[in-house]
Amino acid sequence: MTALRTIRIIELAEGVAGEYCGKLLADFGASVIKIERPGTGSPTRHMGPFKDDVPGTDTSGLFAYLNTNKKSVTLDLAIEAGVTALRTLLDHADVVIDDHDPEWLAAMGLDPRHLADARPGLILCAITPFGFTARDSRHRNATDLTVMHASGWAYHTPSGETDRPPLKGAGRFLASYEAGLEAAMCVAAALHDGLGRFIDVSAQEVMASRVDYVLGQMVAGDMDVDARRTRFDLGGPAGIFPCRQGHAYVWMSAPSHWQAIRQLLGDPDWVRAFPDDWLERGLTPERIAECRTRLGDWLRSQDKDEVSARAQQRGLTMVPVNDPDDLLRSPQFTHRGFFRELDHPALGHAVYPTVPYKLSATPAHLAAAAPLLGQHTAETIG
Amino acid sequence: MSHHRRGGPLQGVRVLELTKVWAGPYAGKQLAFLGAEVIRVESRGSLDVTRSYGVQDIDKAPGFMAVNPQKLSVQIDMKSKEGLALLKDLAGKCDILIENLRPGAIERLGIGYAELKRERPDIIFVSMGMYGNTGPLAYQTGYAPCFVALGGLSSLVGYEGEAPRGMNIRYADSTFGTAAAFATLAALNHRKRTGEGQFIDVSAVETMTSMIGDSIMDHSLNRRVVACDGNRHAEMAPHGAYPCADGDWIAISIPTDTAWAALAGRMGVADGRFATLAGRKAHEAELDRIIAAWTAGQTAATLAETLQFAGIAATKSANSVDLVSDAHLWEREFFRTVTDADGENRVIVGPGHRMTHGAAITDGAPKLGQHNAYVFGDILGLSVEEQRRLADAGAIR
Repeated sequence: MTALRTIRIIELAEGVAGEYCGKLLADFGASVIKIERPGTGSPTRHMGPFKDDVPGTDTSGLFAYLNTNKKSVTLDLAIEAGVTALRTLLDHADVVIDDHDPEWLAAMGLDPRHLADARPGLILCAITPFGFTARDSRHRNATDLTVMHASGWAYHTPSGETDRPPLKGAGRFLASYEAGLEAAMCVAAALHDGLGRFIDVSAQEVMASRVDYVLGQMVAGDMDVDARRTRFDLGGPAGIFPCRQGHAYVWMSAPSHWQAIRQLLGDPDWVRAFPDDWLERGLTPERIAECRTRLGDWLRSQDKDEVSARAQQRGLTMVPVNDPDDLLRSPQFTHRGFFRELDHPALGHAVYPTVPYKLSATPAHLAAAAPLLGQHTAETIG
Repeated sequence: MSHHRRGGPLQGVRVLELTKVWAGPYAGKQLAFLGAEVIRVESRGSLDVTRSYGVQDIDKAPGFMAVNPQKLSVQIDMKSKEGLALLKDLAGKCDILIENLRPGAIERLGIGYAELKRERPDIIFVSMGMYGNTGPLAYQTGYAPCFVALGGLSSLVGYEGEAPRGMNIRYADSTFGTAAAFATLAALNHRKRTGEGQFIDVSAVETMTSMIGDSIMDHSLNRRVVACDGNRHAEMAPHGAYPCADGDWIAISIPTDTAWAALAGRMGVADGRFATLAGRKAHEAELDRIIAAWTAGQTAATLAETLQFAGIAATKSANSVDLVSDAHLWEREFFRTVTDADGENRVIVGPGHRMTHGAAITDGAPKLGQHNAYVFGDILGLSVEEQRRLADAGAIR
């Protein structure tokens, strides 16, 4: 019994953002029919990681993550028969998820300007890098990288860096995942009152809105703006430190954190030389540098998980920097059942990340692995 | 007043927020932007730090105002017995409750899901925690960069072959809040169909991990743990940030051989080794040096515009001046003006979406207790005398 089990969705989107949106809704039980190109299928089928590094239509781990619980129907939308078949499917749909340009959408009979007349009640969600109405040059050729840079995140990543190149952020698709999540939220909201709607999600705006705490102060004139790479930063000695194996992240901002460090390290001389309240009232570049060096020296001999647990017990926010291997072995993730095993004809038995929310009455459920290309064409359009 | 009919898909939905700092308030903001009536419960005795951080006037705190537009504020002291009773009565009038207090705090107050369900059987109770509500580590707390480190993102962000550097320190809270808002709306759809409410347990760390699902799949399928890779991308080369004049940077990503041919033409590079993705990946460091030498000294914005018209994905890497002066964002009314309680206009950051029949977004963040009269009088039906008595007794402060 999942939350959206009565909802019927047609997914025309071919990129990560739209497919992630469809997945989030499908994992709550919505029936999602993914329309794919005959022969090659979705472009994400041809992006890695591939099982055993062997590319193939059904071996992409990216596609596998993005398309759980969906049905795959191949339709050639470049020919009239394909479009006609699509129109029949749309007659029974509550939601359409798309990521193409306005002209393409209009050719499918889904021009947002005529939606209320042509398909009253339909929710059409368009996810694009710079918004459906974008006119400036950046929308012409956009990727996750250019969105990360146009939204301010890349320029200010990593924190504390002033000279070396800005970094793209984690993985290849952060902006797309964020836009897909925002789109899924909008669709779920629109389903609530049942009115047909056109929803325009801009990945650039989604990313820029994710830093509202800072950008909101800047645009209101309450916080200075300038070209400094550290403009989003908080300063202070917090950061990532190497441990015996791997790394730990330490947050320090309050006198209580400093007290915890004193206890944790056994109150060595260098710690006692610092004022108790320096993290609040005595941040100097010299103290920050010395703290980072000394703490770093000490942490180098520590186990990241063990030392983090001891720090947490003393009220210091220290955590291990986990990699995927750590996560697969995490007792916390295991306890919560965050990973789920699914079988797939080409990928075999594999572990999948699920979703970050547990609903007591209608939990999300990864019931089926991603579909093979065209697996549901015959049963869907006969 | 904030509680007029603003339209939007969540019009008529009432949300009670017992939240602090950024992630919980962001979830509430998302729902407010979609039309819900969102009421923040606050009190002088346990103010949100964003109301007091770096300012004298708690009603003009820039950080608070940035994250809490279009919300209502009611003062209830949850440390007083009568305050708690008031809160329970109010929860009984709400569809959704969102909390991100410290682990276990809400139960210790006696206003956990089990208790509030008695007041309002169909309430949707959303609990947000770093690790979620259950599990051996659920007692631990942390801030946004901790979520990012724990969730696996930090390990991926850094220069090639070097130690992890992590995301910008501001990343995570707003993403976590959005995941909570989405789950809440899934539950709201279920309630609409069946009348059944429920408890939702949202984990910040798991939210982070879900944003790198494809990297997790690489480990799952191939037992591979990817190290920091700078700006590398398996399917694109070149893919990175290159230096320009005035300390600016330009981002360039080349997803196809055609796009490469266009860039090579602009650069005057005729090198057969770079014709295919495989060739460019094999010589990527050299390729990056050639591009960096070419971009150096050029004006980032002008170059990006030129490249765009040649079919190349490029953009100036936006600093904070570029962001607040981005004409496209103003034209789309991403930056928009609201009015605060004193009638003053203020520019805010809007949502990442537009929709037909959307909610009007008109009001700034509330002053502390700005909506006491509405909440106690109109929603709870308390007389003016009773409100005064409760204030005198310290329940409203």
